[in-house]
Amino acid sequence: MNQELVSIEVWTVIAQWCNLLILFLLIKKFLFKPVQNILNKRQAEIDTLYSSANEANKTAQELKENYETHLKQAKEEAVEIIASANQKAQKQSEDIVREAHEQASNITAKANVEIEQERKKALNEIKDEISDIAINIASKVVEKEISAKDHERLIEEFINNVGDAV
Amino acid sequence: MEKAIVLAASAIGAGLAMIAGIGPGIGEGYAVGKACEAIGRQPECKGEVTQTMLLGCAVAETTGIYGFIVALILLFVNPFIGKL
Amino acid sequence: MEISVSGAKIYYKIPIFGGIPITETLVNTWIVMAIIVGLCIWLTRGLKVHATSKKQIVAEFLVETANNFVCGNMGEKFKGYVPFIASLFVLSMVSNLISLTGMYSPTADLSTELAWALLVFVLITYTKIKTNGPLGYLKGYTQPIAVLTPFNIISEIATPISMAFRHFGNIVSGSVITTLVYAALAALSHALLGWLPQAINNIPLFQVGLPAFLSVYFDLFSGCLQAFIFTMLTMMYISSAAE
Repeated sequence: MNQELVSIEVWTVIAQWCNLLILFLLIKKFLFKPVQNILNKRQAEIDTLYSSANEANKTAQELKENYETHLKQAKEEAVEIIASANQKAQKQSEDIVREAHEQASNITAKANVEIEQERKKALNEIKDEISDIAINIASKVVEKEISAKDHERLIEEFINNVGDAV
Repeated sequence: MEKAIVLAASAIGAGLAMIAGIGPGIGEGYAVGKACEAIGRQPECKGEVTQTMLLGCAVAETTGIYGFIVALILLFVNPFIGKL
Repeated sequence: MEISVSGAKIYYKIPIFGGIPITETLVNTWIVMAIIVGLCIWLTRGLKVHATSKKQIVAEFLVETANNFVCGNMGEKFKGYVPFIASLFVLSMVSNLISLTGMYSPTADLSTELAWALLVFVLITYTKIKTNGPLGYLKGYTQPIAVLTPFNIISEIATPISMAFRHFGNIVSGSVITTLVYAALAALSHALLGWLPQAINNIPLFQVGLPAFLSVYFDLFSGCLQAFIFTMLTMMYISSAAE
């Protein structure tokens, strides 16, 4: 027994309605839920991967920055150290040179003073001697008439004096 | 005799109902022609134009389908025989 | 020669409520549903997070395509409709294509399409009421002026009816034309071979090749197209109801 070609059977309509809803539920349960589940899981995994990668990247960046600042600081320090060392050396060398100059000038001054003193001393001595000699000569000249004996004694004395003086 | 007249009238009516096929034919031809023009102008939109065209054709087809259903009913369901 | 184009066979009548018929339509729909659900279970068996099997790739592709299709046509907020749209499309398409095997297509029964269209109509109305509120929904019938109310009601009712008849008409036209062509080819064969002895004059000489091409158009192309159009219209109506 066949239905008409164009016919509306209420029970069939209801049954087909239910069929569509049942198929909807079944497809949702058996295809969409599991696949969406898997997709979500994969998404979560990718997200964690990404976030960890990002974190690693961030850490690396931080480390790099850290190192760079450290390096920069070290470089600055080195430059400073070198500069200060240079300065110190400069100062030291200047000091040394100045001291040397001072010492030299001191020594020169001292030497000059000594020389002067020596000269004065020598001059004085010479003056003394000359005066002595002059006195001696004068006394010789004066004592010529005194006596032969005295005379002789005087000469001897003079010679002795001279010998002492030499 | 009456049955024969009703059957003959139903058959004629079915044939007349299928005149409704003219409208969708012209309309769809026009739509497809325009779609071809659009694709020729912008080949990169081929997918969207085709999709929209199919949809438009389906909607334009409705009147023709109505005519066809009426023809089918007249031919195979014979609703007027029962009224004799 | 007798050409008979008729509806679904009635296998059995459950003798309650004046007889609930178990028709070919219902049985074939259940077969189609079993095929679809079996395919789904087979596709989603042994899913892994790291896809390796082709099966899983196909399953994911199907889900992603459905998601993209629905979200592209209706917008993100209708994501919950994806399984419904997908099941509507698949049920319609497999029902259309099942006629390739010579079985009676459930979509060649107006009741099937009417049920789907009514369900779509319910969804449209539900979406409209949800968007505008019950009063806003009723007020929508008097737009733009109150005189147009009857026409608005008619156009509202025409939506499911035209959807049902469109799908039904396309499928049935295919089957009617295929039947007519078969009959014509049988007549041609008979005319050509009728003078032969009784034993061999029923050879289906012309019925073998030509209907296959018709079947490619009416079953494959038209079937897929109608399923697509039905779901597309469903999406359009529902998404436009939300505005």
